[in-house]
Amino acid sequence: MRYILSLLIVLTLAPAAMAGYRETFQREFLSKPWAGGPIVEKSACIECHTSDIMKPAFRTIPDEWQGSWHALNEVSCHDCHGGDPKDTSLAMSHVRGFVGKPKYDGVPGYCGKCHIGIMKTYLESGHGKTLKAAKKGPNCVTCHGSHGIQRATIDIINEQSCSRCHSYERAKVMKQALFLTEKKIGEIRSSLKALKNEGIYTAEDEKAVFSTEAEFRTLFHTIDVNLVKDRTDEFTRKLDNIEKTIQSTFSELKVRKNFSAFLTLVFAGLAVVVALLTATYKE
Amino acid sequence: MKRRRVLGILLAVLGSTAAGSLAYPLLRFFAPPARDNKAKSISIKKSDIRLGEAKEIVFNNNPVIVINRHEKGFVAFSKVCTHLGCLVEYDRGLRKLVCPCHAGTFDLDGNVLSGPPPRPLPVIPVKVEGDLVIIG
Amino acid sequence: MWKKIKDWIEVRLGLDELVRTQLREYRVPKNVNIFYTLGFVAVVAYMIQALTGFFLLVYYVPHSEHAFKSVQDIMTKVPYGWLFRQMHVVGGNLMVIVLILHLLAVFFMGSYKKPRELTWVSGGLMLATVFLFCLTGFLLPWSQLGYWATTIVTSMPAAFPYVGDFVANLLRGGDHVSGPTLNRFFALHIALLPPILVALMGFHLFLIRRIGISSSPFGESGEESGPWVGYRHEQYHGQPFYPHFFLKEVFMCMVYLAVMFFFITFMPTFFAPEDANIQADPLRTPAHIRPEWYFLAPYQMLKLIPNKFLGISVQVIFVAVFLLWPFIDTREKKNILKRPFLLTVILCGLTLWAALTFWGRY
Repeated sequence: MRYILSLLIVLTLAPAAMAGYRETFQREFLSKPWAGGPIVEKSACIECHTSDIMKPAFRTIPDEWQGSWHALNEVSCHDCHGGDPKDTSLAMSHVRGFVGKPKYDGVPGYCGKCHIGIMKTYLESGHGKTLKAAKKGPNCVTCHGSHGIQRATIDIINEQSCSRCHSYERAKVMKQALFLTEKKIGEIRSSLKALKNEGIYTAEDEKAVFSTEAEFRTLFHTIDVNLVKDRTDEFTRKLDNIEKTIQSTFSELKVRKNFSAFLTLVFAGLAVVVALLTATYKE
Repeated sequence: MKRRRVLGILLAVLGSTAAGSLAYPLLRFFAPPARDNKAKSISIKKSDIRLGEAKEIVFNNNPVIVINRHEKGFVAFSKVCTHLGCLVEYDRGLRKLVCPCHAGTFDLDGNVLSGPPPRPLPVIPVKVEGDLVIIG
Repeated sequence: MWKKIKDWIEVRLGLDELVRTQLREYRVPKNVNIFYTLGFVAVVAYMIQALTGFFLLVYYVPHSEHAFKSVQDIMTKVPYGWLFRQMHVVGGNLMVIVLILHLLAVFFMGSYKKPRELTWVSGGLMLATVFLFCLTGFLLPWSQLGYWATTIVTSMPAAFPYVGDFVANLLRGGDHVSGPTLNRFFALHIALLPPILVALMGFHLFLIRRIGISSSPFGESGEESGPWVGYRHEQYHGQPFYPHFFLKEVFMCMVYLAVMFFFITFMPTFFAPEDANIQADPLRTPAHIRPEWYFLAPYQMLKLIPNKFLGISVQVIFVAVFLLWPFIDTREKKNILKRPFLLTVILCGLTLWAALTFWGRY
């Protein structure tokens, strides 16, 4: 029996040694996802922009984008700039819809290709009107940045940023008007995340929160404090409703925990009783 | 031997507690789920929505849009975008539904035309009876 | 009245006689220890899996578009769906632990030796079947966790030259894990694997009762008499199976259940990290993809050995040696403590396994 086995081992090892020469096979295999390392989808934009022939100022763009909220949500170069990331020679051809860098006052229209609602309110606001009339003033990028864009928070409104153009006073009042609602949204989000991690179905509530938040932030882009204050009640009501369902889910989780704790105790008790019973059969 | 008897009784008590606390969940698990209170259907007058126009209603606690389409008649969709849940708007000129948050667009059959939404808009059944449009 | 019914049944089934000869007069060796109960615990664990699995089947939808939502509904909306799902998830992991402990106990007590080689082989095949259960079951909730773990594990056979890709594609039903993979894994998980496991289990138990349970080389000297020349049914004079030994088995089952509910109560997300609650997305690889803990060691090993074919061959050889171990270790001596070389090798192997598993996590 042992001979058969050793024969088997030798027979399997021999081709193994031969396979060592099949480098192509290996290379192909190592590129598979399980071999470790993330799979990066090839993009002509990124390849060229990270290479040495690129101007240093442009070379950092892919890195900035990598850490951005857009990257996290799979919004890639061509989604804003157009062009063809799969074709190196025509990547920046206008035929393929490449648009490059927009003019300063063209930025709202650029971002507004996707963020329609925000653009609309912005254009009607003081900020937007200034830009249209004077070709200068704050556009989207002034506050949000461009390639490295992060998820918007209330902290974008700060003295340093706003006082580049005007005194902070009015912005401060706006921030205060937003504060409570934003805080509530943040709390609801973290509760939903906690519930989600417990396996609870939260997609519907998450959507409701997102929709409320988006609407609220759209409203804020009017930079009209009175309007925000007037409508805050309405948003609070919506958020309260979501919070109520979250609270009831949390208490449901507590009930579940108590129930399974009870079962733990019952079975532990049964184990003890059976152990004692076993002891009576020792003799 | 008296001890064995006591332990036997204890075993029976605990055992039936355990069995009961697993049987009850099982019964609840298999019991048919409580049916949602069937939402009452809503009816609106045909003349309220002119050709190519739309009307927003609240149906079953959800925002719904009823559209009187050119050539294809009445249709109703949930306004909740399938991407992240913003409410889509009806664009009369383009004859499309557009989401203000990330520019998801849907045609008037609810299908995704462009943008990030992963699924078509949910359709709410609509019936036309006489000069009434019945939703739901 | 009660007695009448009892008598009626007794005349027709002869239960009393069965209990007397098969349970009360059936005796196990004097020196049985608590590890002897693990096989029974494994049977009970499997029964719990089968039952809770059936319950889940009532609400689960085996389709890549609906599977994730249906599982979330089981966890959220279906009354007590969470309980049965958690029992199934936690139970699946605990069952693997019980099997590994059973395997180690059998190994260290030398119970696999002549004439019980077939018992060992059927046990090894059962372990493999359970791993297949785990592999197929892990994908069914269609979560990021299961999806990418399955991607990794089903890529492992691709290390074979020529046939590798074919085998991997056969497993997945395509180039990558997708809807068809879910459907064939579902079919395997609920229709093919259970009868295979039950058949193996029947054979395993038949052998144990036919030959007699193996006595331990530890404690009071083993009672097994003489060399195994012809067929012999081992008769012991130790404790009766029922109620003495049976109660010990019941005790261990209660411990098993208590541990299971302990996990469900205090560590409900231990076997379901964050990625388990995100729907599978073939376009988005999560930051840390890795297989389930019991596949970590072979996975890590495959990653470490630069030549993939050598890596997979080593593993195939390892599995073959494991399955055929009783035919390799043919010495009659059961007590492993008197065989320091084998003991060292095994302990080193176990340490290596633990180290690879731990390493694979990072």
